[in-house]
Amino acid sequence: MSLKNLLLAWRLLRRDWRAGELRILLLALVIAVTATTVIGFFSDRLQRGMVGQSAELLGGDLLLQSPREVPPEWLNEAGQLGLAHTRVLEFPSVVMHGEGMQLAGIKAVNADYPLRGQLRVSLTPYGEEIRETGIPAEDEAWVEARLLALLDMQVGEQLELGNATLTVTRVLTFEPSAGGGFFAMAPRLMVNQRALAATGVLQAGSRVSNQYLFAGENLPLQGYQEWLRPQLEPSHRLIDIREGQPTVGAALERAESYLGLASLVAVLLAGVAIAMGAGRYAERHFDMAAVMRCLGASQQRILGLFLPQLLWLGLIGSAIGVALAWLGQFVLFYLLQDLLPATLPAPGWAPALIGLASGLTILAGFALPPVLRLRRVPALRVLRRELAPMPLQGWLVYGLAIATLAVLMWRYTGSASMTLAVMGGAAAALVLLGGLAGLLLHLSRGLHRGVGVAWRYGVNNLWRRPWLSISQILAFGLILMAMALIALVRGDLLNTWQAQLPPETHNHFVVNILPEQRDAFAAYLPAQRIDSSRLYPMVRGRLAEVEGEPLGARIQPGDEGAGAVYREMNLTWSDTLPEGNRIIAGQWLGASAEGMEVSMEAGLAERLGVRLGDELGFSFAGEVRRVTVTSLRSVQWDSFRPNFFMIFPEAALAGQPVTYMTSFYLPGERRAELTAMLRQFPTLTVIDLDRLMEQVRTILGQVTLAVEFVLLFVLLAGFAVLYAALQASLEERLHEGALLRTLGGSRRQLRSGHLAEYGLLGILAGLLAALGAELIAYILYTRIFDLDYSLQWAQWLWLPLVGAVLIGLAGYWGTRSVVQQSPLVVLRRL
Amino acid sequence: MSNSQQGQKTIVAAHGVGKQVPTAAGTLTILQDIDLHIDAGESVAIVGASGSGKSTLLGLLAGLDLPSSGSIDLAGECLTDLDEDGRARLRGEQAGFVFQSFQLLPSLTALENVMLPLELAGVMDATSTATALLDRVGLGPRLDHYPRQLSGGEQQRVAIARAFAMRPAVLFADEPTGNLDAATGERIISLLFELNAEQGTTLVLVTHDDALAGRCTRAIRLEAGKICL
Repeated sequence: MSLKNLLLAWRLLRRDWRAGELRILLLALVIAVTATTVIGFFSDRLQRGMVGQSAELLGGDLLLQSPREVPPEWLNEAGQLGLAHTRVLEFPSVVMHGEGMQLAGIKAVNADYPLRGQLRVSLTPYGEEIRETGIPAEDEAWVEARLLALLDMQVGEQLELGNATLTVTRVLTFEPSAGGGFFAMAPRLMVNQRALAATGVLQAGSRVSNQYLFAGENLPLQGYQEWLRPQLEPSHRLIDIREGQPTVGAALERAESYLGLASLVAVLLAGVAIAMGAGRYAERHFDMAAVMRCLGASQQRILGLFLPQLLWLGLIGSAIGVALAWLGQFVLFYLLQDLLPATLPAPGWAPALIGLASGLTILAGFALPPVLRLRRVPALRVLRRELAPMPLQGWLVYGLAIATLAVLMWRYTGSASMTLAVMGGAAAALVLLGGLAGLLLHLSRGLHRGVGVAWRYGVNNLWRRPWLSISQILAFGLILMAMALIALVRGDLLNTWQAQLPPETHNHFVVNILPEQRDAFAAYLPAQRIDSSRLYPMVRGRLAEVEGEPLGARIQPGDEGAGAVYREMNLTWSDTLPEGNRIIAGQWLGASAEGMEVSMEAGLAERLGVRLGDELGFSFAGEVRRVTVTSLRSVQWDSFRPNFFMIFPEAALAGQPVTYMTSFYLPGERRAELTAMLRQFPTLTVIDLDRLMEQVRTILGQVTLAVEFVLLFVLLAGFAVLYAALQASLEERLHEGALLRTLGGSRRQLRSGHLAEYGLLGILAGLLAALGAELIAYILYTRIFDLDYSLQWAQWLWLPLVGAVLIGLAGYWGTRSVVQQSPLVVLRRL
Repeated sequence: MSNSQQGQKTIVAAHGVGKQVPTAAGTLTILQDIDLHIDAGESVAIVGASGSGKSTLLGLLAGLDLPSSGSIDLAGECLTDLDEDGRARLRGEQAGFVFQSFQLLPSLTALENVMLPLELAGVMDATSTATALLDRVGLGPRLDHYPRQLSGGEQQRVAIARAFAMRPAVLFADEPTGNLDAATGERIISLLFELNAEQGTTLVLVTHDDALAGRCTRAIRLEAGKICL
């Protein structure tokens, strides 16, 4: 393609632009690119922001837990990759204040802790929260409020940790990398790592958890993980932000899936608009191509002139779209500034480049087939205007469009299964609905009997061009289907999330309830009108062998999820299946007469390769008990209630030391009651989940907003289709309208005719949309989101209604020039 | 280079040309057994009643379509031996066209319409050549007007300027005055013949108009698809 040719194409494009030939195509392309790219920018920033928040919970982007110090070269490698890192030590130790004595979870930190997020503290227990950028001085200790209550002390007083005396200067309200497990259950005491030597509490062989936090750019982080994983031992645990906090991880994944789905619909609609715009563009250039052929241009030359025009158009349209999207996301983030995190990452270049590439791809996929037809325009058309080039073969046109969509969908969702589900659903819907559209059209033929001449004219219009009508019903049906799907999935998805976090979700866990306190505490909670779950017995034990094989052989090095069971686990017994648990294989306990059986969580079973009927050996302080797996359970891990990997019958755990645990809901304004509770039951350990839940709620709120914003652009893309479709048939209508008026038809009759035609089109499209939405929603719900699905009866009513009103009015408005222009002007122009 | 032995001066020749098209009612014969020779510099009118096949013959002679039987030579090359792109090249080099319906591109100005064949051929000074031609046809002040802003006569003058832009060996004109009133048609015809004389072009035109046919060096009459001698 020579420069000269490019320049000639550019001149032809400019001439077309001046003549108004390109506006629809460019408009559709700009809307497409703007819609998809705003979504790209927005979700990119929001996702990076959300990842940032998750990182705040973790204290870094990546956490490596190790029972020992790791080899220095592991840290050197991180340093060489440009990753920041810091080491945090956690261990249990007794602290004393006067007569009081309490086991605390000690956390010793360095000056650069945390790498992500900030500590939050208050100056008095449950006082006003402030952000803290420093860490405790060498002679200071920062503690959780419950430790103060347990030790009956105030801020400013001193406590003893080993040989050192430390002054309590702050109350910890939020600490990144709070982690989980046993240490989190004891009240927290944070000290400076440099103070440790003076305390003398850490001796060789002391049980210490080394936590290495890493932070940096994505690429080196991934590289580091890949480098590190093969070297990990079973006792190591590598956690990145997506798995650090299961609930946040799930919310993020759903959010990504959802935003991806919404952007797919926008791409699909934009593609339809562009195909229509390009069809019109090509048809309006048949004459030009014929004259050029006549003037000696070869077929290749014709393509050589039109394809660069398409390229120019694609570049300009995409650039405008990306620029508008850039501005659009600033406006959006400005509007939502109170709800979004204050420090979101700046918009990246990636969405802009992807937007540009998407624009060109969309244009190629949808506009290329009509433009390729120009090559085949016969020169004889200059003498016989009715000669049009043969349409390209259907498989080429649709194949190209489908391939384009698949590539874009895959790019936007990053999920092959989701792409396949939507594509499959859409393809099945197109074939089914196309046939059905034809059938509906056929059935509606009876409608013209007994109606006035205007309505007959309008309704007849639909049948006169059955293929155009079917394609319009499909296109409009697709828009309505997209709207319905978005509304449906959005409502249901958020409901599911809300259901996940109902207003009185338990926000405290209590562990360490001693057997002798059990009845008293079980009575205490209802007496205080505190909503709680039942008390679960908790026995500490270690899974030692599977089918006679040591557990170590079953765990892949670096498998963090399975690694969690390498340490002591919390085991429980129960007669009944706990709430939120579902048996997915085998039978609930009671199958074994001796009671030597266990119900195992299905995910863990899969990771360890445990099957129904396998024998597991559990070690209790050296004593091994063997039980048979008689059922596998799915567990709703994000339910904020006690959940267990292993549930036994009581007999299987008989004779083991036991404590009890439960969860309860205490509203924020009653938090002071915790102090009273701890005074009455001093050995209890209460874990406050409010902080974590607050983060989850914030994230869900943001996702909701993102979803609504995305819906706006899907609608915009839908209107582009409507506009393109109206434009595509406008000239023919102008001509017909002028003829009808010449023959004595009134404007009112024409208007009623248009209203009838588009109204009926809308009703038929609405019916199709209802069917298609049911079909795709069913697949999405059951295959992707794993939710229950029931038929949506209401949409069978409202979709045809909305279709009739929306498309009827749009058609009425879009064809108003047919009745406004004088017939003479129209007939002379055509 | 077949048939060049027909004589140095023959520029368009048809040998036993026939054209049939399939229709719902069976095959329709539009032209049959057409033999003709047109010498360089001649002006030939193809006349006949509506439906006699005049425009079809013109399209075949110009290489816009292929005959069902027989062969056609244009400027010494056998059109039936060339593929569509080959015929396009030959048209670009040798032929100019003027149509009843003008066939101006509505999105281009008068100047740009005339520049188009020059630009397609990669001529460097397309603008000045096109401007000079439009001056010559009396449209110097209307260069930047779009076709819809021009009258029928003016549009046909733009079309004539475009047809002569590449200095074609043969100019094919299909009812060039068919859409014009008598006075305007007369002026267009004069212009056509003036330019024809200036450039030494061969003129092949289809017309109903006996006066126009009378100004040509000879007329070929078609009746029901055959040459009527």
